[in-house]
Amino acid sequence: MKRLVAIGLVFAMALTALAGCGGGGGGGQTSGGGGGGETDVIKIGVFQPLTGAYSAGGTIEVQGVDLAKKYCEEKFGKLLGKEVELVIVDNKSDTVEAATAAAKLVEDDKVDIVLGSWGSGLCMAGGDSFKNSKTIAIGASCTNPNVTIGNDYYYRICFLDPFQGTVLANYAYNTLGATKVAAIYEATNDYAVGLYNFFKEAFETLGGEIVETQMYQTEDQDFNSQILTVMAKEPEIIFAPGVESAAAIMMRQTREAGYNDVIFMGGDTWETPMLIDLGGEFVEGCIVTTFFDPAAPLNDITAEFVELYTAEYGTPPAAFTALGFDSYLTAFQAITEAGSTDSDAIMAVLENIVVKGVTGDIAFNEIGDAIKNMAVLKTVQNGEFVFMDTVTIE
Amino acid sequence: MKSNSSNKKMGLSTILTIASLIGIVVLLYMIDQHGFLGSYWTRVLRLSGVYAISALSMNLVNGFTGQFSLGHAGFMAIGAYVTSLLIIPTPNKAIQYYVTPVLDFVGKMHAPFWLALILGGLLAAIAAFFIGFPVLRLKGDYLAIATLGFSEIIRIFITNLIPITNGPMGLKNIPASANIWWTTGICTLTVVFMLRLMDTSYGRAIKAIRDDETAAEAMGISLFRHKMMAFMMGAFFAGVSGGLIASVVGTINPGFFRFTLAYEILLIVVLGGLGSITGSVVGAFVLTISREWLRFLDNGFSILGIIKVPPIAGMRMLFFSVLLMIVILYSRRGLFGSNEFTWAGLFAFPGKWKNKAANLFDSAKQKAGRKK
Repeated sequence: MKRLVAIGLVFAMALTALAGCGGGGGGGQTSGGGGGGETDVIKIGVFQPLTGAYSAGGTIEVQGVDLAKKYCEEKFGKLLGKEVELVIVDNKSDTVEAATAAAKLVEDDKVDIVLGSWGSGLCMAGGDSFKNSKTIAIGASCTNPNVTIGNDYYYRICFLDPFQGTVLANYAYNTLGATKVAAIYEATNDYAVGLYNFFKEAFETLGGEIVETQMYQTEDQDFNSQILTVMAKEPEIIFAPGVESAAAIMMRQTREAGYNDVIFMGGDTWETPMLIDLGGEFVEGCIVTTFFDPAAPLNDITAEFVELYTAEYGTPPAAFTALGFDSYLTAFQAITEAGSTDSDAIMAVLENIVVKGVTGDIAFNEIGDAIKNMAVLKTVQNGEFVFMDTVTIE
Repeated sequence: MKSNSSNKKMGLSTILTIASLIGIVVLLYMIDQHGFLGSYWTRVLRLSGVYAISALSMNLVNGFTGQFSLGHAGFMAIGAYVTSLLIIPTPNKAIQYYVTPVLDFVGKMHAPFWLALILGGLLAAIAAFFIGFPVLRLKGDYLAIATLGFSEIIRIFITNLIPITNGPMGLKNIPASANIWWTTGICTLTVVFMLRLMDTSYGRAIKAIRDDETAAEAMGISLFRHKMMAFMMGAFFAGVSGGLIASVVGTINPGFFRFTLAYEILLIVVLGGLGSITGSVVGAFVLTISREWLRFLDNGFSILGIIKVPPIAGMRMLFFSVLLMIVILYSRRGLFGSNEFTWAGLFAFPGKWKNKAANLFDSAKQKAGRKK
């Protein structure tokens, strides 16, 4: 029996080696084509986590990039008369892998521009490689300010946590008329810690009060002690930035403890089907900020995008897909306007570019962050995310 | 590493060792100065070197002393944070703390890379000293659980000490001082240190503890002292490897030092062979390089042009686990067991390898027997 297994395994090994040769040969061909013919193909690197903890996010962003490639091919044809090739590299949701994967993109695949990644920590790990090789990277959904600070080659098209925190604080204070807010945030998550701090700052400036703050760790399942502590101070709103699974459980436990009036608010990470699957009726009425909504078109292209996506995948698109779409659009337009794939030329164009994107107009400030002044607020109604309001901050 | 034959052979193996060292230096020079491999594969080699140091330090505790400790990620975290905070250029540092301002002292401190590495290692060793007091009284699984717990405690401390470590927001702009000379150099130093250590009375004592604690104690070996020493030395090198990895990657955050990191290092140690220095080094290089080399599998491939596999993310990890299973099925004690590489062993291998290998194994056994 063992012998049989052995033969089987050796056979599998041999096949792998052969496949390796095949793959290697193929790789050789493409790199040869890239080396000799930088004239006939433009390589766009897609730097995303496709396996590991962030794979869900990475995958939906890649969908957006894919869709945008098809859209641009149909609408504008070739880019500078060349075919566009997407080089998708998996960074495995891991910092070390991300740094290596980024080096592979710029060194081995010699891409002209990079899109991604989901997860600000992964972006930062890749940032040094992009900077050293003078390759421009456009982040789609990384909201941590540190990604672009001190890195001239990193741009991003989403709004930042300080903006998102301000939007939520304004909405809570001005529209909902709340003055007492409690916070329960995920202490091990850079995104949640950042968002909480910016919310607090904005809300206190407006004149509100954060009555109680509690934290939890990633993968915590029981929030009863935090809920009881904050509810003792009778807040009108609980602000709970963090992953959607924790938020869903937290809302469930709050309602089950009999607190039915308190409103939950969170950031863009909540807007996933998972929140509703896990939370069911308990997440009804929670408020999230997000980048776009089909019901409130921010540009003409929005409707086109929604139609295209629905035809391809059969469901309405998520905000992150829209951002992935926009990141490709930005790269495409920048290269077209620059007339070359030279990084300096593209950077000069990006300084003054205005891209009519799905998530609104995209322009960049001197740090490389998108200048955005509008966010969309959504709420959960009858098991679906529905559009509530847009908030503009001057 | 001892050749048990005549002086002539000893001379030969010394010459070969020196020759191969020169070869490595030339190779490193080519890689560093002439871009022989390109920055991507150089980076993979740098990472391999760092993982080798980390695996060696874990092997010292787990393989040679026989104490099943999983606290490695915590010590690497200490080393990584101390080194990073010391080498990030001071004008670059304060700007990263956008949630809570950095402590004045931390924001201003700065040290050269070598000093930062040593300090990182020392701090990890000091942490190991305090952790060692309670936990080294435990054995087997209990020790593993307790060290794992302490490593998580270290990580949670780092997560919450936001004015010092920037918490979950992580640190970036860590200078890439750890070039291929640094990683390979320190890796070589660690190997030499381990080899020399195993020849001293301390080395023999910790191996005796691994083989039979009661017998070792009866022979007058202080169990606690020797375990503590191995634990602290392991933590020192773990700290150094943490500092190096921070410099290779360029950014760190507490999430990176979860206990899964300890498992990854343990995988290298077990694959190479518990109690084999050669094994840890070879294991680190094989694992790190193959993980990158297998990347082509993610992009889809065809087997002999017959079966076409579409691009599937994570395909390489599937093949990777098959490779690991093959190793574990066929050499249960890892690639090297507890043997070391010797020139004599290498020459004996291809010829009548079955006989020779058996002989070598026997003589090694006899030698081991004598040591016991």
